[in-house]
Amino acid sequence: MNVAAASPSRVLVAARELHKAFPGTVALDGVSLELRAGEIHALLGGNGSGKSTLTKALAGVQPADRGTLVLGDAEHDASTFTPDDAWEAGLRFVHQQPSTFPDLTVAENLAVGAQFERSALGQISWSRQRRAAQAILDRFEVPVSPRARLSDLSAANRTLVAIARALASQREEGSGVLVLDEPTASLPERDAQHLLSSLQRYAAEGRSIVYISHRLPEVLQIADRVTVLRDGVVAGSLERAEIDHDRLVALIVGGQLDHRAAADRPALAAGTAPAVTVRGLACGRARGIDLDLRPGEITGLAGLVGSGRSSILAALGGARAAAGDVTVDSRPLALGSVAAAMAAGVAYLPEHRGDMGFFDHSLTDNLAMVVMPRYRRGLGSIDRAGARRAARELISGFGVRAASEEALLSTLSGGNQQKVLLARWLQRDPRLLLLDEPTHGVDIGARAELHAVIRAAAAGGAAVLVASSDAEELVALCDRCVVLVAGRISAEVPCADLTADDLNTLTYAEAR
Amino acid sequence: MNGTTEADPMEAAGAPAARSGEARSGRSGFGHTVEALTLALVTVALCVFFGVWGETSATFPTTANMEALLANQAVLGVATLAILVPLVCNQYDLSVGANLGLSAVLAAKVLSEGAPLPAAIAVALAVGALGGLVNGLVVTRGRVNAVVVTLGTALVMTGAVNGITGGQAIIQGIPSDLISFGSSQTLGVPNLFLVLVVLALLAWRVLEHMPIGRYLYALGSNEEAARLVGLRPQRLVLMSFVTAGLLAGAAGMLMVARTGGASPRVGETYTMPAFAAAFLSAAAIRPGRFNVFGAIVAIIFLAVLKSGLNLAGVQPYVSDIVNGVALVAGVALAAYLGRRRLRAARGS
Repeated sequence: MNVAAASPSRVLVAARELHKAFPGTVALDGVSLELRAGEIHALLGGNGSGKSTLTKALAGVQPADRGTLVLGDAEHDASTFTPDDAWEAGLRFVHQQPSTFPDLTVAENLAVGAQFERSALGQISWSRQRRAAQAILDRFEVPVSPRARLSDLSAANRTLVAIARALASQREEGSGVLVLDEPTASLPERDAQHLLSSLQRYAAEGRSIVYISHRLPEVLQIADRVTVLRDGVVAGSLERAEIDHDRLVALIVGGQLDHRAAADRPALAAGTAPAVTVRGLACGRARGIDLDLRPGEITGLAGLVGSGRSSILAALGGARAAAGDVTVDSRPLALGSVAAAMAAGVAYLPEHRGDMGFFDHSLTDNLAMVVMPRYRRGLGSIDRAGARRAARELISGFGVRAASEEALLSTLSGGNQQKVLLARWLQRDPRLLLLDEPTHGVDIGARAELHAVIRAAAAGGAAVLVASSDAEELVALCDRCVVLVAGRISAEVPCADLTADDLNTLTYAEAR
Repeated sequence: MNGTTEADPMEAAGAPAARSGEARSGRSGFGHTVEALTLALVTVALCVFFGVWGETSATFPTTANMEALLANQAVLGVATLAILVPLVCNQYDLSVGANLGLSAVLAAKVLSEGAPLPAAIAVALAVGALGGLVNGLVVTRGRVNAVVVTLGTALVMTGAVNGITGGQAIIQGIPSDLISFGSSQTLGVPNLFLVLVVLALLAWRVLEHMPIGRYLYALGSNEEAARLVGLRPQRLVLMSFVTAGLLAGAAGMLMVARTGGASPRVGETYTMPAFAAAFLSAAAIRPGRFNVFGAIVAIIFLAVLKSGLNLAGVQPYVSDIVNGVALVAGVALAAYLGRRRLRAARGS
């Protein structure tokens, strides 16, 4: 699409043989990358493929262990590369997390981090500030007023302001590298198109744009070259003419081994009545969701970030407002109230552990919080000894490694914290167990233990709904998987003969 | 970078270290006890010091001084409890002092007009609770920051006090029974201090040993988690403000008993010292957490320090400075000990 990319052009940045190891994993194992002037270079890969580590190494915030970075004419040892070096070399990064200030005007947002135009007395000269901002907005063709508040702009224009701020600070006009991490993840389709056409213009001026995204249609639309990472190595590198959807998916998912835990789970009796029915559920991006969840069954929710996975779980858990008809054991469930959901037998563990635990409190307190009425004694006081006894039993029953039931939750490792939080809800014998990324950030051993606990809960008669961005986890854990694409159920597949590759292919299917 | 989807390698790296730490129990039980009792021990040491120091040995360890010292802390102590309850769930009530003053003035006013004592007590508690209810409703329904709300209501209450009294103290018609109760002792302990002890025991029981107290602490620990375990944060916050108002009313009544009337300018002066004691409570008894007995220890610590320095003839401004330094140093020490304990427990 860009004329410049057709002919071999100047290499702005070259990374050679980058290595980075963390205890237990090799995040980058000899990754090389060339970024050329005038190209949009898509960087793709699944979770844990090394994308984040690579961008952190390029930014200098987490240097590689070894390797070389060639920036223009200068050669740097990648292990001593600093954020200042990256900045000097004209590398700019716009992260997925918002980096703009919603309460400030466009002009102020452009000045923060760069400089304010000031009068002789040192106070800000607002008229000059606005003129400077207008010049930047004109240069990068951002159709907003310097006086507008960021919070009043569309999501695409907010992102464009962040990009304009990054580009305006580059010393050489029309040069340098811009790295964008999932810039369209939260944008509606029309806004995303607006952003993409701006990016093509910026690249055509001679910059190199690194575009990280899970959205393959966008990559197909704008990428001049694609580099796919998998397990810390470059799985493949494609030029414009070679890029097509199936090839990208094949490179991303690769020939991964199927690590199924060969779960010998009893087959569900045919015709078991569903414990939970969901009809026409709408919440966040999710629309028209119909589900039947049977007791003893583990159902997986697969889909890309933003496909509506988390919204569905939060809606069923009562943590987010939602519309639709849900029944638990044939009784209608009032949506939008955690207390009502709990009373109906629903247990919900959200994606972020930080939203669940009382970290400066003891394990006993954390465990007892959802079953306090059990420990009520005369005069309304708490049977503390009883609560501690129950906590001790749960800790040993769930294999939690902790000094004692009075240890603070914050002193446990991530996997053990997750076990405590699961135990907290399972002691209520839930009818419906909702788990969002239940093993996110825990090590492999703890992950297997958590899976065993989840299977046991299902065997005990709970209907389990698990959302995960990890296809292997879903295939190994679940009886069947429901695939979400852009907020709607696009497929439903039994897991018996499913591979992670199959599931990934389904989640990357274009919304039709 | 892609924080929502990608496992953080650093987290995986941290896990084994954390696990090895769990095998150890951190520090000994003795160490914890010493830490919890540090402020109390310092207070005892201060008492001994002022008892033998030449400047104060004649005046400090006397029955009269001890009685005055304890009796003078009753109003401050109950005001501190009032501040403590919302503070446990992360809400600041800056109107406790003004609310206490308004309750005292209205109670004194109905007494001076001939109402019986129980009616005056009811007025003080009702006025206090009403103030707390207004605070709580504006904070929870209006979604306004509690600092702003209570700063505003404190000004309104102070204005109301001045309007009611015309700036004059109410000292006529206070029943002599009430005044003698406020100035006498039972078994050698000032009655007002006994009232503080009873209220503190009640607050301790509710906060530490009843579900509602655990819910308040949980809310203060992590609001989102509290919501997701089915608690109703807004309702809990409202209740904490009403409780604070009730306690402020009780403190107002104690002030009438202690001073034999109600002066319009006194109430609001309690707010900052009470906050100081509430913050310092996190340095004692249950380190790292605002707690009732910690608050009582903190009040006595600050009172002993001030009394001793006064008796030594030190200028009042010096004792203010010493109090301020003691507060900041105490809270900083508590924060340091808390971090160290966490590090020890994590085994790094």
